[in-house]
Amino acid sequence: MGRFVVKRLLSVVLVLFAISIMTFLIFQAIPSGDPALRMAGRLATPQQVQDVRQQWGFDKPIYVQYAKTMQKIATGSVESYTQQLNVLDEIKRGLPATISLSVGAGVIWLSLGVLFGLLSAMSAGKFLDRALTVLSLVGVSTPVFFLGALMLYYLAYKLALFPLGGYVKFTDSPWGWFTHLLMPWFALSVLFIGVYSRVLRSTVLDTMNEDFVRAARAKGISERRVMLRHVLRNSMIPVISLFGLDFAAVVGGGAILTESVFGLHGVGQYAAESIGRLDVPPVLVITMLGASAVVVLSAVLDVVFAILDPRIRL
Amino acid sequence: MQWTIKRIGAIALTGAVTVALGACGSSSKSDDNGGGSATSGGKSGGTATVLMGTAPDYLDPQRAYTTQGAEAHWISYLGLYTYAHKNGVEGGKVIPALAEDFPKVTNGGKTYTMTLRKGLKYSDGTAVKASDFPFTIERAIKAPWGGKSFFTGYIKGAQAFDSGKAKSISGIKADDATGEITIDLVKPYGAFLNVIAFPSAGFVPTGTKMGNLSNNPPPGVGPYILKDVVPNRSFKVVRNPDWTDQTVPGVPKGKMDISVKIASNTQTEAEQVLNNAADVFDWGDQLPPSLASQVTAKAGDRFAKQNTVSTYYFFLNTQTKPFNNLKARQAVNYAVDRRAIARLNGGNFKPTCWFLPEGLIGHPMGECPYGDPNAAPDMAKARQLLKESGLAGSTVTVWGQNRSPRKEFTNYYTDVLNQMGFKAKTKIIADAQYFPTIGNLKLQPQTGFADWNQDFPNPSDFYLLMDKNTTQATNNQNFSQVNDPHIQSELAELNAVPADKLDTVADRWQKLDEYLAQKAYIVSYGQQQNPKFFSDKLNFDAAVFHPLYGNDWSTLEPK
Amino acid sequence: MATTDTGTEVPSAISAARPDDDAPPGIGPYALAWRRLKRNRAALFFGGVFALIVVLCLLAPFYAKHVAHTGPNANHLTDQVRVGGKLKDVVTPGGIPIGPTWHGRFLLGADGNGRDVAVRLLYGGRNSLEIGVVATLITMLLATMIGLAAGFFRGLTDAILSRVLDLIWSFPVVILGVALGVALAVGGLNLGLFELKGNSLGVPAVIIGVVYIPYVAKPIRGQVLGLREREFVDAARVQGLGNVRIMIGEVLPNLASTIIVFIPLIIANAILLEAGLSYLGAGVQDPNPSWGTMISDGIRLIPSAIHLTFVPGFMLLFTVLGINVFGDGVRDALDPRAKVRIER
Repeated sequence: MGRFVVKRLLSVVLVLFAISIMTFLIFQAIPSGDPALRMAGRLATPQQVQDVRQQWGFDKPIYVQYAKTMQKIATGSVESYTQQLNVLDEIKRGLPATISLSVGAGVIWLSLGVLFGLLSAMSAGKFLDRALTVLSLVGVSTPVFFLGALMLYYLAYKLALFPLGGYVKFTDSPWGWFTHLLMPWFALSVLFIGVYSRVLRSTVLDTMNEDFVRAARAKGISERRVMLRHVLRNSMIPVISLFGLDFAAVVGGGAILTESVFGLHGVGQYAAESIGRLDVPPVLVITMLGASAVVVLSAVLDVVFAILDPRIRL
Repeated sequence: MQWTIKRIGAIALTGAVTVALGACGSSSKSDDNGGGSATSGGKSGGTATVLMGTAPDYLDPQRAYTTQGAEAHWISYLGLYTYAHKNGVEGGKVIPALAEDFPKVTNGGKTYTMTLRKGLKYSDGTAVKASDFPFTIERAIKAPWGGKSFFTGYIKGAQAFDSGKAKSISGIKADDATGEITIDLVKPYGAFLNVIAFPSAGFVPTGTKMGNLSNNPPPGVGPYILKDVVPNRSFKVVRNPDWTDQTVPGVPKGKMDISVKIASNTQTEAEQVLNNAADVFDWGDQLPPSLASQVTAKAGDRFAKQNTVSTYYFFLNTQTKPFNNLKARQAVNYAVDRRAIARLNGGNFKPTCWFLPEGLIGHPMGECPYGDPNAAPDMAKARQLLKESGLAGSTVTVWGQNRSPRKEFTNYYTDVLNQMGFKAKTKIIADAQYFPTIGNLKLQPQTGFADWNQDFPNPSDFYLLMDKNTTQATNNQNFSQVNDPHIQSELAELNAVPADKLDTVADRWQKLDEYLAQKAYIVSYGQQQNPKFFSDKLNFDAAVFHPLYGNDWSTLEPK
Repeated sequence: MATTDTGTEVPSAISAARPDDDAPPGIGPYALAWRRLKRNRAALFFGGVFALIVVLCLLAPFYAKHVAHTGPNANHLTDQVRVGGKLKDVVTPGGIPIGPTWHGRFLLGADGNGRDVAVRLLYGGRNSLEIGVVATLITMLLATMIGLAAGFFRGLTDAILSRVLDLIWSFPVVILGVALGVALAVGGLNLGLFELKGNSLGVPAVIIGVVYIPYVAKPIRGQVLGLREREFVDAARVQGLGNVRIMIGEVLPNLASTIIVFIPLIIANAILLEAGLSYLGAGVQDPNPSWGTMISDGIRLIPSAIHLTFVPGFMLLFTVLGINVFGDGVRDALDPRAKVRIER
């Protein structure tokens, strides 16, 4: 057991290191232009551009730049190219919106996903099942950016049912916080509800045929209790692990689209804006944070499952 | 988990026009609000909400280089000189601010002498000293301010200071006891008064830290104080309680406090002003075309299009094929339909064929050599000229940036070139990358999108782009790589004419611009029109729309 | 297993199909699956929808020449078109394009540049579908090889390959896709061995293809881990067959149903991801049309030109839905336990 944990931790460290290198290379080394030129401004003379280059260390070899950047990240002093703002401060500023969005949407998609999946499985093959399947397939096939823009226009502007985007801090106004997040929560959840309902449906159907379920029924336990206590609990395991990973990814900048369309100014939107400005440091940091969150969480889940089920420790 | 990212260009910056310093608008003939000058009449009080689609690049006065920053800075960081708070051409006139009076210009236009106004204080109570001026200029150069070449190129000793050879600028002498300031130039420059009227020359106390102070701007002198900055989200510009209309004549005290919020997309920005949930739609943004009809229908009394002094054009590289050939260049000018491009801009272009725009001295009054820009183009003539040049069928790469609607202009232009007889393909590249890319001489881009907004109301500013002396290997702005002896000899004389004597050389500038059009070094097509769009809570007519700075926030007043 | 942006989940392991009660004995599993599929009317219908869309897109040049009389990049900004007897501007002076005319010219309206939407839709569909298919090919090929190698050889090979998969899979994928797309848009990709021009469709196809590899490789690896313990592998070894022959000859055929189930899933995902990347400016480059770029261009003109968003949006939706439902049907056909009713 101990060896397994150690091996897993070691691989986490290796992967994180590899992620940092890969991210850095992609954003820095692939020909995307000379950041010094962009930063020096439109009327800069060649001498002025060279000054900027020296100031930021762009003239040093790539591994030196990598080391310096990692050092800056570790000490929390990374600055963005275009505005010399501290990246970590900006990320902290965007976290409340991102977390509010993720948690709210997560609750919605998990509960509705499980509910629809369960209903679907219980009426497998019948009309309700077909209808829910089609609905979830539609949810899963809709481009989210399309959905968001339409919702904003029709529900918020035309019908004025919801505010026109933006984020209100909970401490400023709980009701405002809530109304501003309703549409983003829904838009973000639609996709996941579709996925989770189908996953749950398939795991429930798998579980329903297991022997222990038959045994429970044979014992005379009511169908409802069988479903809820025996079937559902066992079906939830893959769903929970999936949820953990998806949630980590969303917090790590994965809800970019939803944040941008609704103007929530969260971490994801910050990443999107930085990419548009070809501003490397924020994208680098957010990518690494997001990737790290997923890698670490997946390792934790692996260890947890290994504890629970010895067969998994391959 | 993979999520699709919304494209930046599509919504977040749709229509938001970030222009190099000083995009301005002389008000169009039908929209001249003569009554908008600074008076002490009218109501005051309250806060006006301004929505901006693009955040100011910096809120540090010595770093800001876009109109969004200038709107806040010109009323909170006065320098030796500023502009009159008036509409139209009147607003383009320089007036003394921290200087007592206009400067004495001697030594063949190379020495400027002025005296500091007495008794002025910064917003934190510190007294203003003459030596704050050289400090401010040094701070701007060190920042580095994006337009610092205006300082280093003209002020004696500024270049040496910039490269670290000198500890201070030898060409600026300031006497704190008498308040006298003397500036020596390396060569006469008629527009130098405009240069020291830039907001980046707005005084800050000596000793202000050199780093980026955007999050906590330093104290300044002016009717307004910049504070409460949340980067990329919001900031406030509040009235300075110690400022009166007499503190600096011509710079009025404000009537309302201003709260600026950065909107995430122009669609919601426009909707909020339309619904009166916010008060001002930033002039640097464009109304989404789909809302334009609603706005004119529901809010016609609080919306007006204003001409800005800007030119949108496609450059034609005169040093490579095929546009090193005069006939090929003229052919393109015959083929482009200016009305079509205006449509792509939501109708917010005034079609033109000249380089110097209307509202600027030197704008030609005659007929366009390639036909009326408001009428259909002559494609037949274009094809014929191209055949005569022998360059039909040449491959052309057309460069553009992926910001709408510039991307659309470029796509249209490529189609026109193909219809003419070229084999043209578009190359759209990332917004932030565009100007550095095409400004790289090694690339030798054949043609592509370009624009210019005035830094100040002087045609020499525009002709920087046609001057062979400004061509440089990287960050080149003379995209057409114009190298014309006649233009050079004219510029040598015209650039030295002082700003207040501009009227005397107006017709020489006009002739020069007509010459440029006939040489077809560019394909000019439009002059941007920007919106003056308020909520119904503000007095629309009383607010000044300044040619350089757009909505004059110090003249906003409630109804 | 994790969720992809189209939400179609990745099955853990597909067991061999169980025979139906009413099937003739001795029928093979694939023939059986085919029978079941034929009876699934919804899957057939949506599969037909998808096929129809593909055919239409392939006919794009024909449509452009004979029905619309214009190309995908031809601007008609100042033209007029006759609608219902009246002459109307293709694009108004205020920049608003005309909506669907339901006639040959501008059947589905014009876009902001005065280009025919229907023509661009079909050409764009070609691009989107081509990228989706090529990306899927890349994914399936590489994922199968990696999954096979990792699961079969185990040990160090598995350790390295699994970490590589982890690496790709843990990236916030869209950020990666966008950054790569933006970065490669100008200069293209030059890896010595092969070169992709910045403007080509190859760049988004490669990016998308690589991005999906872990989603397929991991389950395949899991399945191979199980299969290699089976008797027929031992039997092959006893016969003296080498590793590669065993992998290809014995293990791979057993993966076939998994692979078959994956293909429509990945195509659907790839098409949606391409739309997202293009929407973002990181996929198909201007002026090549793609459904993603059309949607993003159209969002600017909501609401006065809704058709610009609706038309490509719904086209995308129906295409992906078509593949998803059909793919669902294929999976049901290969593994009918999902259709079992609750026993009482």
